[in-house]
Amino acid sequence: MYVYGVLSDADGADVSARGVEGAAVRTVEHAGLAALVSSLDADALAAARELRAHWRVLEEASKRATVLPVRFGTVMEGDAAVREQMLEPNAERLTALLGELAGRVQLNVKGEYDEDHVLREIVQSSPPVAALRERIRKLPEAASYYDRIRMGELVAAEIARRREEYEALALARLEPVAVMARAEPVSSQNGAFNLAFLVESAEVDQFSEAVGRLRAELGERITLRYVGPLPPYSFAENDLSMGTEAWA
Amino acid sequence: MAVARSGGGGYLERPRPSGLADVIDVILDKGLVIDAYVRVSLIGIEILTIDARIVIASVDTYLRFAEATNRVDLLQTDDSQGLPELMESMTSGGAKSKTGGAIEGIKDALTGGDEDEEEDEKEKETSKPRRRSSSGSSSRSGSSSRSRSRKSS
Repeated sequence: MYVYGVLSDADGADVSARGVEGAAVRTVEHAGLAALVSSLDADALAAARELRAHWRVLEEASKRATVLPVRFGTVMEGDAAVREQMLEPNAERLTALLGELAGRVQLNVKGEYDEDHVLREIVQSSPPVAALRERIRKLPEAASYYDRIRMGELVAAEIARRREEYEALALARLEPVAVMARAEPVSSQNGAFNLAFLVESAEVDQFSEAVGRLRAELGERITLRYVGPLPPYSFAENDLSMGTEAWA
Repeated sequence: MAVARSGGGGYLERPRPSGLADVIDVILDKGLVIDAYVRVSLIGIEILTIDARIVIASVDTYLRFAEATNRVDLLQTDDSQGLPELMESMTSGGAKSKTGGAIEGIKDALTGGDEDEEEDEKEKETSKPRRRSSSGSSSRSGSSSRSRSRKSS
């Protein structure tokens, strides 16, 4: 039994998108909660296809209701297990979390720095880097090995510092317009920051305006990617296996 | 009304509906973790997560930064303040094409291009990702994941 997410069953959980392995999506219900599930025979999933199926099911469901996404690749034994091991022992927390997230969406703002731009800035602003660079240019490659490592180390540190500054700036500009913010590790080559925000649905426009101002402020140094609205993946992260006394 | 300039005319800022590639890390990493569940094996995922998390502090990384730093053309900003754009696109091609792309490549393999065309490409997920030649720059700079909360106004 593949598990996609949890919503409150009052919200009507009809999902027409096909689930993982093409299976039909249905619900398992308990005490006002509904888990979105589909049957699964396979014990290995082809991630490329099924990641998309997982995402589509949640995306469709979240158009009409607040959905707590369950982590990709979660499989339980059957209806009874979903009810007894997931919904029942966690009913209160799930209901509370759904209440907290109701009427709110996740918006992600990622920043990518332009590597050449940043490197140029570093050479121009850091005398030690500039000096090493000059020296390396005059030496044959084999002779400059340690200088190159040293310079790379300095540059890496400078990049890390700038990245923190950019992240702090983005948070300072956007957090006031959001209910909650989360700084995630960057996941791309030149990632400067990777931020997830929980925003009131009714305030998405204000948030977008703040993103627009941030984009203008950062200029060419950082390319922003502004994505959403998403189901609250990053804010439904509670680990239900912890702090629960009632586990079977 | 927030109008942002980014390569041309102004436009109204709006979140993009998510393409899978944009949210792949969110989907892989986030969501409720349920007690007593079994995570089935996921073909094609391991590579992605490992590659996306290469730690930055290594000699290879430093050498790559050094190489990129040596390549950077300083004259560009000193002399030609008026026309940086053109030069920019010319120089950035060099430094990036060498080292970038491993993760992007895997992402592409995972997510394909557009919606829906992937259903019949059954073997797509097994496409071999290229090992990256130098171990990437700065992916995953430690886990600075923290959360803050603020009461909505």
